[in-house]
Amino acid sequence: MSQVFHEIEKKIIFSLKNNPTQTTQSLEISTNLSSDQIRRGIEWLKLKDLAIVKESKTSIICLGKNGLESFEKELPERRLLNLLNNEPRKLSDLQKELGFVFGPAMGLARKNNWVEVSSDQISLKNIPDILPGEKTLKHIGKNKMPINEIDKNDLSLLFKRPDFIVEEITKIKEISLTESAKSIELSDSSGAIDVEAKVPEIFVARTHPLKDTLDEIREIFVTLGFSEIIGNMTQSSFWNFDALFTPQDHPARELQDTFYLDSITSKKIATPEQIRKVSESHKKNWRYNWDINEARKMALRTHTTCVTIKHLAEKKPDEARIFSLGRVFRNEKVSYKHLVEFNQIEGIVVGKDANLRNLMGIQREFYKRIGITKIKFWPTFFPYTEPSLQTMVYNERLGKWIELFGMGIFRPEVTKPLGITKPVLAWGGGIERIAMLKYGLDDVREFYNNNLNWLRSATKCQ
Amino acid sequence: MPVVELSYTRLQKLIGKVSKKQISDSLPFLGLDIESEDKDLVRVEYSPNRPDYSTDFGIALGLQGLLGIKTGAIKLNVKKSKNFSISVDTSVSKIRPFVTGIVAKNGKIDDKMIKQFMTMQEDLHFGIGRKRKKSSIGIHDLDTISFPLLYTTTDKNHKFIPLNSDKSVTLSEIITNTDLGKDYGSILGNSTKAPIILDSNKQTVSFPPIINAAVTTVTTKTKNLFVEVTGINKDDAEDMLSVVATILQKAGFVLEIVHISGSKNSTPKLEQKKISVTPELINQTLGLNLKPSKIISSLKKSRLDASSKGKQIICTIPAYRFDIFGPMDLVEETALGYGIQNLEPMLTPSQTLGQINPISRELKSLSNIMVGIGFLESLNSSLTSKRVLYEMTNRNTEKIISVLDSKSQEHTILRDLIFPGLLENLSRNIHESYPQKMFETGTVFTLDNPISEKINFSGISAHKDANYTEIKSVLQSALKIGFDIQIDTKTTTHPSFETGHCATVLLNGQSIGIIGEINSKIIENYKIRVPVVGFEISLSDSVLESI
Repeated sequence: MSQVFHEIEKKIIFSLKNNPTQTTQSLEISTNLSSDQIRRGIEWLKLKDLAIVKESKTSIICLGKNGLESFEKELPERRLLNLLNNEPRKLSDLQKELGFVFGPAMGLARKNNWVEVSSDQISLKNIPDILPGEKTLKHIGKNKMPINEIDKNDLSLLFKRPDFIVEEITKIKEISLTESAKSIELSDSSGAIDVEAKVPEIFVARTHPLKDTLDEIREIFVTLGFSEIIGNMTQSSFWNFDALFTPQDHPARELQDTFYLDSITSKKIATPEQIRKVSESHKKNWRYNWDINEARKMALRTHTTCVTIKHLAEKKPDEARIFSLGRVFRNEKVSYKHLVEFNQIEGIVVGKDANLRNLMGIQREFYKRIGITKIKFWPTFFPYTEPSLQTMVYNERLGKWIELFGMGIFRPEVTKPLGITKPVLAWGGGIERIAMLKYGLDDVREFYNNNLNWLRSATKCQ
Repeated sequence: MPVVELSYTRLQKLIGKVSKKQISDSLPFLGLDIESEDKDLVRVEYSPNRPDYSTDFGIALGLQGLLGIKTGAIKLNVKKSKNFSISVDTSVSKIRPFVTGIVAKNGKIDDKMIKQFMTMQEDLHFGIGRKRKKSSIGIHDLDTISFPLLYTTTDKNHKFIPLNSDKSVTLSEIITNTDLGKDYGSILGNSTKAPIILDSNKQTVSFPPIINAAVTTVTTKTKNLFVEVTGINKDDAEDMLSVVATILQKAGFVLEIVHISGSKNSTPKLEQKKISVTPELINQTLGLNLKPSKIISSLKKSRLDASSKGKQIICTIPAYRFDIFGPMDLVEETALGYGIQNLEPMLTPSQTLGQINPISRELKSLSNIMVGIGFLESLNSSLTSKRVLYEMTNRNTEKIISVLDSKSQEHTILRDLIFPGLLENLSRNIHESYPQKMFETGTVFTLDNPISEKINFSGISAHKDANYTEIKSVLQSALKIGFDIQIDTKTTTHPSFETGHCATVLLNGQSIGIIGEINSKIIENYKIRVPVVGFEISLSDSVLESI
């Protein structure tokens, strides 16, 4: 298989073919690449199993303050000897010219027998061409280099002098080619790039995954002939409960299930006729004293059914397909399966021929369009529909049936007081559950966490 | 929804020839959701409108019908006698005016049954009893009581030994010191008197609706039972009694009448009622074409009686089925007896034309534009907290709309602005890479006789180079491309924004929102380490105004 290499990789391979084991520093020199380029190139080659990196610890040597000064101005003893090159000099003059390095320079010169001192005159004696340490000082210069590249004797001499040598222990990487890399033929002519290489990720700006699900559901119902209506999230208890035949002492109406707004009531909840007829239906069927003040309490809607029933009571259509999609509220403890605020769809069909099998047919079609084919219907109970059913859908991932939409036909006790004469099919349910299936989530809170890591990466799984 | 625990082997004994699988397959079609299963035990959820399903006896009756083992209505056989009576004193009329009851003899009681009766009692109290307010029930060992009984009132210093105790205490002590007293004492109001049932030896039988006497406790040795129900409404009390009577009869007891008189009380009849329904209504509502005979057999499977009379089907409904109000309920009973699984879904072509609401359409197009500009769509709750909405953003809290008794501190106040939520989102993402740009459209709430709901649009951008020019460009371009409108900005101050870097957003000279650099103190509050710029405008007051 012919492989395509990045320019950096080519240079590294080429250099390693000539000189099989190198440090990153020597690669920098031999390839003329920056240390960052070398680092990246080695990573790429390692991933492709073309390079072996051996890490070892080593001492790195560089010159200290006095060492650097000596590198720039020559060693103090060399400076002394240079001053004596032409003629013997007075001790005091030399002291003046060399300053505080005179002492150590003089000491060395005398110890090594390079000078002769008579009264206060100093003159040259035997001088070697290269003084001890001098060559190494020049070799190191301003560089940092591994200890093994430096003359040991010289180094130990220089070490003894204060602030001449600084030693750091560092990790050294030795790079060599793997067997397969050694056989690579580099050709410069192709100009091809590595089209198989990994590329950086882009953070895509996107609409919210839950909104996408809402849009998808909205589109399905529109194509099934339904029109969308929008209603308020704050509703009087009259429309949220009373109009839907939920008695005022029903447990669902209590504070622990419903959010009531603190000290806010609605003065004009419905027409006097609507209020009279609804209250009569309650008194007759549920046998209690209906209280208008209960009906005036403002609540956060617990379902979108209040929006559709209000619409029906106002328009009294003979034929209609309507849906409403929006937030609803329940006073619950937030958990992985419960939110206090979530989205619900509510749909209705009005018509003289509307019947339970139609209602089931619409459900089946809807589920089919969102990709759920394994469904069944079970009976259930809602205060405002009769008969009432719920859909169960099979979730392959969880391996069990889960409950989705509830449905039914509005009870005569609901429709008659509001002057609705035709049968009304109604269904509804939470959207988050469907979205959880789509995005493979087990925790419904994720939709509202706005966790960028998730929003930037969430993908549909169904 | 209430839950009842059943045993397959017990159900099999009660139902007759039936397999475990037949039972578990049929339960959902009675409206009973299986919650969990463990070998012989199965826990099912039942609807509060069917309190007869609170015991395995009631469920067995339903399954017998559905499986065709025994169909038709359950008839209560109440033995007539003069052995048992309760007289009612008029003093109860202002506190808890009604009492009713029945005697059940010659039964066998085991631990399981006692446990089931206790949960049945609790479910009845909670559901149709409305937490004992409407009606409450007491079940006693008949042989510890000497009839006739008196239902009357007494002073609260009246003493007796209550259930699960061996000490004689006063009614006041029960109300103030016991859990039951604390929970239900308030039902009796502020009266100085309390209702009491006494037997002919002046021994206390029950202190309704709070607690029975210890002496009448039902044990596995009990053979004969006395059941009393008290309440504020005669019909409701008798409804509750009818459920218990039906279950006790199924449990093998022989029922015997209790005569009741005084203060508008009378002996319960526990009568069946008759409701008629037409085959047309049934067929039209279900989308079927069933013959009257099929309808009748289906109704019988739902444990009702039915017969044809002319064009009507006359249905006989036992007293315990008080969830049946009228003909539409019989449609459902027919469907259940017919079997929901036998109803084939049918899609009739739509005669109506569908339409997306224009507001949804406009919001969607705005979302698309914002995504094009590089903003990620965010979603926050409209019910949020004072901390997020006001404290963190340094705004005053005069006009907050709060909900009562929220179970979650994070959800107590309706938002009047979106951007505090977006800032909160940024603060939760400080470890994610920048730039971070987010927007949200959604409903905001303000007090306005009683409440006005409007749609707002907010966007924020956070990164090291974020500045006023950037965010104004974003808003200007989004509105220009989305709605072909041109906004202006005029300098202003706002507690959440940096002074000198904040403007009112104007459309045709009218203010529709705010834009600018978020105040550095607020950014600090949120522990965000980069500059943040943002805007929020009302769409309802601008581009959506005419929709």
